[in-house]
Amino acid sequence: MNALSWGRFALVALVALVVQVAILDQIELIGAHPDVMIVLVGAAGAIGGPVRGAMLGFVLGLVADLVLPTPYGLSSLTFVLVGFAAGLVRSLPGDRDGRSAQAVTTVAAAALGTMLYAAIGELVGQSGMLSREAVFAMLIVTLGAIVIAVPADAAIRWVLSGADRAVSGHSMPAGGSATR
Amino acid sequence: MASATRRTSQRVSLLVLVLASITILTLDYHGEVSRGITRVRNGVRDALAPAQRGIAAALHPVGDVFAGAFHYGALQTENQRLQSQLGATQAKLAENDFAARQAAQVLAIAHLSFVQNIKTTPAEVISAPTSNFQYTMEIASGTGAGVGPRMPVVAARGLVGTVLDAGGQTSTVRLITDKSSSIGVTFGTSVGGGSAIADGQGLGEPLSIDELAGSAPQVGETVFTSGTDGGAYPAGLPVARVTSVHVSAGGLSVNVAAKPLVDLEALQYVSVCEWLPQP
Repeated sequence: MNALSWGRFALVALVALVVQVAILDQIELIGAHPDVMIVLVGAAGAIGGPVRGAMLGFVLGLVADLVLPTPYGLSSLTFVLVGFAAGLVRSLPGDRDGRSAQAVTTVAAAALGTMLYAAIGELVGQSGMLSREAVFAMLIVTLGAIVIAVPADAAIRWVLSGADRAVSGHSMPAGGSATR
Repeated sequence: MASATRRTSQRVSLLVLVLASITILTLDYHGEVSRGITRVRNGVRDALAPAQRGIAAALHPVGDVFAGAFHYGALQTENQRLQSQLGATQAKLAENDFAARQAAQVLAIAHLSFVQNIKTTPAEVISAPTSNFQYTMEIASGTGAGVGPRMPVVAARGLVGTVLDAGGQTSTVRLITDKSSSIGVTFGTSVGGGSAIADGQGLGEPLSIDELAGSAPQVGETVFTSGTDGGAYPAGLPVARVTSVHVSAGGLSVNVAAKPLVDLEALQYVSVCEWLPQP
């Protein structure tokens, strides 16, 4: 990734953070709210591959943790694993580079990532995270991800197209980056 | 060959990022670094506060639709006003009840006279919980208004929680229903019955109180802060109302469920008690 794509990524991360705290945090259902940050991580992995997914997940985690009461670094650790895992899905047999497949991967990554977040939180001493609330949170995050996945994928595609344009001299083909 | 090299490179990248995350996580538990991180977090929260406040105010009806399709508009405003009035009256009655029922010895130990004179700072609630796993809320008062960590936060009906972190203009409040919240409590009618601990069980869930069978409360009794749990809260703050009492099979212990008096999901204004736990 070059300076252009990092700049775009910084903009996307900032907008996502504001959207999260100002809008999504207010939409509370069964004690949980949608989470745009983890959806972006899933999108980063699904579109950019495992390394970019992990890298962008790490940074998004640091940003997300700025407004969370949980220990700093918990989101980063979770998001690195989620981004990497979502990226690995691309290497599975079948058409994984279509936009629909990427959106499905994004949603699945957000859902499973929410449970992973709870599990790691429990491991680092945040008692009560792996509980019924975690299931509710996964449900609401998944529902939110279904709505957010397409714009999140588009945002990540825009971020990564900057890097690919710089390398190849033309824009990234639809559906994913040129490199994994 | 190229594929194997790529896989190795991927694994190395993953390892480096995981280790970096674990390092940051570990540093957050370290005193000086943790304070630095808290300062940065508070700064970011302060910076985001205007956007939160503005957008939250603009989107409040939208949030209400999601939160409860049957509560809307003028009816809801009227309902909230009446609930607030009722809450204030109940809190007053509860305070009187507490004062009448708790003997002078309890009041003296708990310094209730001092508690009743605590200066309070009103604050607007600007954000619901930011985490799906920890129940906190953001309020628009910080160190600039005299608010600091560990100060109790109350609403018209009773205890809301305690200040977790305070920035210049905003603070994070841990709600009493958060699973890491433990409050020393006593019951309105169990004078001399000692103190029990009320543990948070999650948003919308009643508090769980384990009590000795000999001092089992009645359903409907009010639960107050005891002020004797290491002084984390002043005594006499109404906390919850007993909704069920379950005696263990052996009859040695009682598990009490108590619903918070404050509707924590519909708060717009709270007061921060400028009171700090005794060292």
